Amino acid sequence: MSERIKAVRYPKLEHFSEPNVITTTADFVFSWARSHSVFPFTYGLACCAIEMLSSGFARFDVARYGMEVFRPTPRQCDLMIVAGTLNEKMAPVLKRLYDQMSEPKWVISMGACATSGGPFYDGYNVVNGVDKVVPVDVYIPGCPPRPEALFQGLLELQGKIQQHKFVPEKPAAFEPAPAAGAGPATADEA
Amino acid sequence: MGLVVGSNPMSMDALAALLVERFAGDLDDVRIQEPDTIVARCAREKLKDVAARLKADPEVGYETLNFVAGVDHGTSFESIYHVYSWKTNTWVELHVELPRAEPEVDTVCDIWPAADWHERESWDMVGIKYLGHPDLRRILLKDDFIGHPLRKDYVDLAENHPHV
Repeated sequence: MSERIKAVRYPKLEHFSEPNVITTTADFVFSWARSHSVFPFTYGLACCAIEMLSSGFARFDVARYGMEVFRPTPRQCDLMIVAGTLNEKMAPVLKRLYDQMSEPKWVISMGACATSGGPFYDGYNVVNGVDKVVPVDVYIPGCPPRPEALFQGLLELQGKIQQHKFVPEKPAAFEPAPAAGAGPATADEA
Repeated sequence: MGLVVGSNPMSMDALAALLVERFAGDLDDVRIQEPDTIVARCAREKLKDVAARLKADPEVGYETLNFVAGVDHGTSFESIYHVYSWKTNTWVELHVELPRAEPEVDTVCDIWPAADWHERESWDMVGIKYLGHPDLRRILLKDDFIGHPLRKDYVDLAENHPHV
């Protein structure tokens, strides 16, 4: 990748040492901003939550990726990190909280339990994977995954968010308003 | 291995002898489990009386209930009460055997209020019915769960797994 393309795709402060202009797409700008301001929902269900929380503190520091704002309410979140075993009693609650999150929203399944039930697979009260209840974007293996693994999952998710198209491929057809005095349109004209 | 029996004013042998004497005919198979626990069996009709007297005893006074456990032995059930005495720094493990056909026993909630949630859990998991319990419903599993999953003859039902 040439320096010029790099400067366009990954603009840095030094490229603006003097008044300057860059051209880019609305898709890129929106998805770039969105992927770097993900608000995760603190959905710790079991021991994976300990790794999730430790990834938020100074030693691992998820803030480096712009994701440190863990929120305890689904209204303010767009990423649900399901960290731990989901059981049958909790499943309706998870679905409800997922429904309360505002669009666009993503789900990361963290650890073996959230992915498939893990060591509790086929248990009498265990849901064999959180994808039975909500759609999952990224699966992170591990029991529990280290914070580095969680970060890789988050970066995968960032890549996924950046592929998202915000601007429709075809612009919406422009329909002119009926001219004044033209009378009501008949069904045939419509 | 538990607490050192330092603050116990009497030896375990003396304590066991005292319990045998006070509860003659009510406690069976009293034996000492080193270092600080006395294990005994009790008929389920006498449980309430034994529990009240164990708690009210001025000398030993087992005032604290640590937990209630429900056990499925296959041919019978067992409700186990683990109680603690601050005066002697010892435990009593009270085993109450229940017939498989009718796993019912009186509640001890009114004697040790801590038994409330433990008895609910035992009901939830093993299906032992605690007669006279103020609010005997499931505590860990969902309300419409079918069966008691820690029973030996429990078969996992599709109805208990709506999310497939």
